[in-house]
Parts: sequence; C-alpha cells; structure tokens
Amino acid sequence: MQYTQIVQAVWGGLLFGAVYGLMALGLTLVWGAVRLLNLAHGAIFVVAAYVAYATVANLHQPILVALPVGVAAAAAFAYLMHLFLVRPVLGKPGFDNATLMATIGISISVQAAALLIFNPEYKVIPPVLQGSNLLAGVQVTNQGLLVIGTSLALFALVYLFLTYTRQGMAIRAVSQQMEAASLMAIPVVRTYAVVIAISGALAGVAGILLSPFFFLNPSSGFNPMIQALIVTIFGGLGSIRGALVAGYVLGVFESFVEVYFGVAWALPGVFLLIILMLIVRPNGLFGTGDVRRL
Amino acid sequence: MLEVSGIHAGYAGSEVLHGIDLVVREGEGVIVLGPNGHGKTTLLRAITGLLPPRSGEVRFKGRDITRERADVIAAAGLVHIPQGDLLFPDMTVLENLLMGAYHRSTWNERRARLGRIYELFPWLKLRGSQPARSLSGGERRMLAIGRGLMARAELLIIDEPSLGLAPVTTQQIYESIRAVKEGGMAILLADENANHVADLADRIYLLESGTLVREGPAGLLMGDTALLESYLG
Repeated sequence: MQYTQIVQAVWGGLLFGAVYGLMALGLTLVWGAVRLLNLAHGAIFVVAAYVAYATVANLHQPILVALPVGVAAAAAFAYLMHLFLVRPVLGKPGFDNATLMATIGISISVQAAALLIFNPEYKVIPPVLQGSNLLAGVQVTNQGLLVIGTSLALFALVYLFLTYTRQGMAIRAVSQQMEAASLMAIPVVRTYAVVIAISGALAGVAGILLSPFFFLNPSSGFNPMIQALIVTIFGGLGSIRGALVAGYVLGVFESFVEVYFGVAWALPGVFLLIILMLIVRPNGLFGTGDVRRL
Repeated sequence: MLEVSGIHAGYAGSEVLHGIDLVVREGEGVIVLGPNGHGKTTLLRAITGLLPPRSGEVRFKGRDITRERADVIAAAGLVHIPQGDLLFPDMTVLENLLMGAYHRSTWNERRARLGRIYELFPWLKLRGSQPARSLSGGERRMLAIGRGLMARAELLIIDEPSLGLAPVTTQQIYESIRAVKEGGMAILLADENANHVADLADRIYLLESGTLVREGPAGLLMGDTALLESYLG
C-alpha cells in the first residue's frame, strides 16, 4: 500500500512535470527573447486540442494526422497573435501593459469561441498510444510514457536549436543585444515571430498529448498555463534549464501532495512551495540577479 | 559610395544633427572628428538605421536607404561597429563572431571568414569558447571589430574605437583597422583624437554642435594644429 502510493505519486508527478515543463518552455522562450508575458499560452493549448479533436471527430482522421495538424494550427495562431497584437506595439512605451491586456483578451475570446463552436461538453481526444503496464500496482499508460518522452525530446531539440543553428543563435543574439543583432543583419521582428510560433507549437503538443488524460473543454488550457507560469517563475524567468527542472520538481511535489493530502490541497500546496522558494531565492531556482536571457 | 545629404536627426524634443552633408568614396578613409557630445554617434546611428533621420537623405551605392531597417542596411554591405561594442554577453567569443556572418551570403563561407579574423586577432581563436562577458575592455573591442568584419562589408563604420582603452591597446586597435583599410575597405570612423587617425585618414570632417564645420584632405587639416586644437581642445 505504502509502496504503491509512492510509485503512484512519482508516476503522476513525472507526467505532470513533463507537461508543465513543456508549457513553461514556451512561456520562458517568449519571455527570454521578446520580453512578452504571454497569458494566451493556455488559449493556444486549447486551440491545438480543439483543432485536433475536430480533425479526428469531424474529418475522421487518425490521431497521428490530427497531432501535426493541431500543432501547425497552434503555431499559426501564435504567429497571427504576433502579427496583429505584438508587432504593432513592439518598442513602443506601454508594450508590457498592452500585450498583457491583449493576451488576456485573446484568452477570453478563444474560450468563448470554443464554447460557441463546440459547446461546453467534455470532448475526448484519442491517445496516440493505447495500452498500459502495471508497475507495482500502478497503471503506467503508454500515452503517459509518450508524453514524458516527447517533453524531454522537445527540450533537447530546443536546446540544440538555440545552441547550434544559425537561426537559434540569432534568437539568443536578439534576446541579449537587440541593437547589435540588427547591425549583424538579423531581422529582429521576424526572429520574434519565429520564437512566438515555436512557443505556440510547444503549447500545441502539450494540449493534444495531455487531453486524453483530462478531457477537453473550453477552459482546459487555464490550469496548465497557471502551472506553467508558476514553473517559469520557480525556475527563473527566461531560463530553459529552470523550466525543465522546476517542471518536474513542481509536478512531483504536487503529485505527492495529491496522493497524501488529497486533490484539494494540490494547488495550495504548490503556492505554498513557491512562496517559500521566492523568500529563499527571489530570482527563481536558476534565475540570476538580472533578468535571465536565453 | 555613401552620400549623406541634409540630414536632421535627434531624440524626442531635441535635435542633435542640423543638416549634415557627407560623402565617402570607394576605398576611402573618412574621419569625423569632434569633441564628445557633439553628435558623432548620432550621425553614425542615423546613417545605419538605428535612429532614422527626421529629414534629409542617405544613399548607399546609389540606393536610398534613409528609411530602411538597420538589418537591411547591414545586409547591403554598410556595416556598423557600434560604440560600447554591444557584444552578445552570454554568447561565446566564437558565437559572437559567427553572428557577424549571420547573413545568408556570408554564413556558408563562415569558416574561411573566421580564418581571416584569426589572422588579425590570433587570440580570438584560442579563446573561442569563453563567454564574451568575461573579456577585458580591449579584448571586447577587438571582438566587436572582428564580429563586424565577419560580415561582407563594403563600407565599415566604426564609432570611436579608442573609447575607454589603454594607450597600448588603442594603438593595436588602430593598427588592425589600418590593415583592413589597406585591404581596400572604405572606412567611416568617428573619433575625438586627431592623433589616433593620422594613418587612416584620407579626408576629415570636423563636427561641432551637430554641424560639419570643416571638410578637407587629411594632410591639410592634420597640419593645421591650431585649427584642430581650437575644435578638439
């Protein structure tokens, strides 16, 4: 019994952690490069999930087709956000407030649109992988393993992209010294667009792979986004390593609280942890004195 | 090659440049001399798109670039090595250099271009994996110049390369710039010390309070110590 509970908590925590990390990765990328706190990140999650749902339910395509379609829709949605909401106010005074309000607005609009188009009923997105194994009395689903593997793989991919490719290095250059980047012939605004689209795609992957566990409704993106925000702050704003580590730390912590104290204590427990953490390390786990850059 | 005519530029509420006319020809070394705070940096920023002029015109190789973005201007071959270096602090020495060759036309030949930079500043090769933020002032300046040279420049704009450096380093920096100029590169350089630029200058402009007050061949102006002293102090 004891043992099963611990395995249950660890498994759940790894699963949560993988998803929180994936969501936080997108948030932290956009914050690090564009200095944009994207409160529509959860909305992008939902857009991807509903597009995938419609591809399966209405177009009768398998989930393996719906997944890339949904991810592409998420990236496209994020790009449109950049085009109409971020780009017009770039470099203008009030950028922070304007984009904060705009992204909240998008969040509400997407929720309302999903309600109108799809109705409030819970939708089911089929998992990519069926089946599960019993590990010490705990159901370890193959889809869960896929989520964890995908999350780790995407972290590695983003890291390699930023470190070794021309475009990835340009993203870091823009985030560290925008003016010099433009003097190096790097198109700054287009680089922002690339970052925002990548961030959207990451939220899309999270939305589609996670929905088989929790079902999908118009406000499904809210919780993952709040958790991702907490993870991002916990790990240090703009830090990729921070997002990875903090995702799993918070995921496992939350899972243990759930197993031992009940689901109702999960969110209060997480908040308590982050308050304690911010007292000890005000800049987050991997945050430096100045605001982190990619 | 570069023709600047009648540009006015400045920051909110205050105009810094009051109608500047300036020309740089192929392979020429042109120096803008002037004391601190009289608009040298503003002039260079107005030319390369960092601070678009309010009026007037900037033409490069016959093309109007007055309202172009900085990255488009850089891609056209007008490369600006800014004041204060503006390195990418958390990137390595090598990554900083590579970013100089970001443009498609130079990225594929980045290895060969690196080789040429290493000839100019051999230490850069040995310290490639060090983060730029850990370099000394003189090393940063050399890296900034090396990064600028990684681009395919046809005209190199350099903003006060001696700023804040020790005399020995200053000499080394100007020698490297002279080597680049002797390779045929046109250079437009802002400075406040006439002695630094004696070997580089073909023509000199004197900038005072946002206006170019004198222009002439370097030999003529350099000889007139009374004039230089009255302007530069």
